[in-house]
Amino acid sequence: MTELHRLVSVATLLLALPLLLAAQIGRPEAPPRGPAVVLDGRELPVAVTITPAGPLFALRPLVDSLGGQLGGEDTGESYNLKIEATEVVTGIGNAIITVGEEIVSLSQPPVRGQGGPLVPLDFLRKTYGAVSGYSFDWRPEDSRLVISRRESREIKVLLDVVHLQGMTTVVLQFPETPRYRLNQQPGVVEVQLLADRLAPPVRKKVDDSLVQDVTFAPQLVRIQLVPDAEVESYLLDNPFRLVFDVHRKSAAPVPIGPSAATFDLRSNTRTIVIDPGHGGTETGAIGPSGVAEKELTLVLARDLEARLIQRLPVRVVLTRNDDAKLPLDNRTAIANQNKADLFISLHLNSSLGSGAHGAETYFLSSQATDTRAESAAASENVGGAPAAAGDAGQENQDLQMLLWDLAQTHHLAESQRFAGLVQAELNQALELRDRGVKQAPFRVLMGAAMPAVLVELGFISNPDEEAKLQNPAYRANLVEALVRAVGRYLEPPQAERRSTPPLPPTQGAVRSNPGSPTPP
Amino acid sequence: MSRRAAGWVLALALVLVLGSLAWWWQSGRGGGRSGRRGAAAEEAGAAATERHAFDLYFPSAGGGLRAERRELQVSEAPKDRIRKVLEAVLAGPAATATPGDPPAGKEGAARPAPPGKGAPAAAPVAAPAASGLVRPFSPEVKLGGVELSADGTAFVDLRWPDHDDPPESGSTEEIQRVYSLVDSVALNVPQVNRVVLLWNGTQRITFAGHLDTSRPLLPDRTLLAP
Repeated sequence: MTELHRLVSVATLLLALPLLLAAQIGRPEAPPRGPAVVLDGRELPVAVTITPAGPLFALRPLVDSLGGQLGGEDTGESYNLKIEATEVVTGIGNAIITVGEEIVSLSQPPVRGQGGPLVPLDFLRKTYGAVSGYSFDWRPEDSRLVISRRESREIKVLLDVVHLQGMTTVVLQFPETPRYRLNQQPGVVEVQLLADRLAPPVRKKVDDSLVQDVTFAPQLVRIQLVPDAEVESYLLDNPFRLVFDVHRKSAAPVPIGPSAATFDLRSNTRTIVIDPGHGGTETGAIGPSGVAEKELTLVLARDLEARLIQRLPVRVVLTRNDDAKLPLDNRTAIANQNKADLFISLHLNSSLGSGAHGAETYFLSSQATDTRAESAAASENVGGAPAAAGDAGQENQDLQMLLWDLAQTHHLAESQRFAGLVQAELNQALELRDRGVKQAPFRVLMGAAMPAVLVELGFISNPDEEAKLQNPAYRANLVEALVRAVGRYLEPPQAERRSTPPLPPTQGAVRSNPGSPTPP
Repeated sequence: MSRRAAGWVLALALVLVLGSLAWWWQSGRGGGRSGRRGAAAEEAGAAATERHAFDLYFPSAGGGLRAERRELQVSEAPKDRIRKVLEAVLAGPAATATPGDPPAGKEGAARPAPPGKGAPAAAPVAAPAASGLVRPFSPEVKLGGVELSADGTAFVDLRWPDHDDPPESGSTEEIQRVYSLVDSVALNVPQVNRVVLLWNGTQRITFAGHLDTSRPLLPDRTLLAP
């Protein structure tokens, strides 16, 4: 009978369970809770309005809880929100706001509510999230916004200090974009991390004439300068880098060639940046007799600098003036930083097989700019608005792509014009095979905010041309051709022409090269 | 319920459980077998190879690329075709002369080795074949992994152990090397739109200081000799 009892018990349980479940399901539901905002497990008295485009949150009670100062309610049209040291300006009905110096687009515009503005979720993420490190997790299933403070991360920082041409460049490289504040005082620059901690690089002594020391604390990088130094800072992406150019106060803020001071810098003086290809461990091509491309490009660049300054009202900057390895992106960064009017990268060529010979001039291919625009848009998507940012975010990206495209199209057209002049002058001056003007996705030309060309002045892999390139007289002819090309490019329109040192006459107009591509 | 009735209920339950197990065994295992048969048939299909003509683009001694028509034993699988094409390009043009052979005329002359530069990075890769075509890389450079993404991007890894960097060169040489691979793959395998080159498993900003190889490269027909 015991077994029978057990069987009956099991059967009863099996029957009871579904009944219990059914009873549970059949119970009347608890009254639904309204939307809520929760910070650290505590519910905040924040009004939430659900709209088809997403929830809107009353800003004032959030400011009371998260910190900051909200002003400007009197006008009722625009509000100023100060979070730490960052000013946020937002207008009712306007999906574009400013956060510090950045223009930020929102998925929907803030609206006027009782007691102040109602703002969308991405407003909170792009203001309190970006500035103070809060995270905002919207849970639509129960209409709850859970706010939490982001835990501080440890970010590895790399330090590089390079001295070139009387200017020291300090580079702080981060694996991802940190939240930071820059404090600049005489003799000191400080990078203050706002939430994250630094994993500093291995301590090494800074031996530099302009930078006394670079020290690291958990949330602070301190760059100590010599007393008469001043600094300019800028950012580079991929990876994120903070770059500080340090130079003496008495000197011009950028390296200037020896004779440039004789020209009036406020007049029509143009800035030419010459980039001697390769350098350091990157030898470039090696000729049959062992001559390295990096050596000859530096010699040619120095000669070109001297001739340009002698002959034209230009300021000339070399990207490198010694046998140093210099990343390609830094070369264009130097040109951008100096607001150059022209960027000329000098190279000597090589080919597989020794037969190739002649000079050719490259400018950036439109394929490269297209890809770069895509890349820029992609990075905007990653670092900017979330995917659900909506039309405003998309329009902003479209606008940025359009602006990029317009700028690149203009630079490409000018680059092509200058490349044509260079090639024509080289053809005119030298008995070289005309290999024409070409386009290629060359890295050193990407990101240049000015007309930019890469000139291959001959094939160092060809024994005949290698021998010629080692001859100073031949190199002088090459340099002279480049000077004439620069002069013709910079030549003002006929009406504006003023008295400048005359250039040797060039016979004939710009020749069209068989290899010339169609205009971009 | 009598003890006898309870026994019948238990027996019935047991029969049901055993029946279910038998059904699962038949359907599951049988299905698995048929699945494996399907996969095997697919593999067999992919493995079935045929000779197919490809235009392989080799550096020419004059500085561009020139096609050499070659028949390769390939399957229908795009990845197999990419691999076979690349292996053939890396192996060099047909009847490649050895570096000791006399030069084949000015345009086809082999590049002499620079004196005192023992590094293979700067050494001549190979003398040109009678056709004037040249092997793009040193024979030690081998093909590593090959992947093809759904959007038509082929990822190609070149391996040269103990050589952190690709060979130093001028821009034309770099263009010849890179585009001999890019054009050979993208112009022969219809599923490939663009190519990402890696060196020892790493995508590089450039191979030799000129071409941007940090993003996919589209084929460039302008380099091809008519």
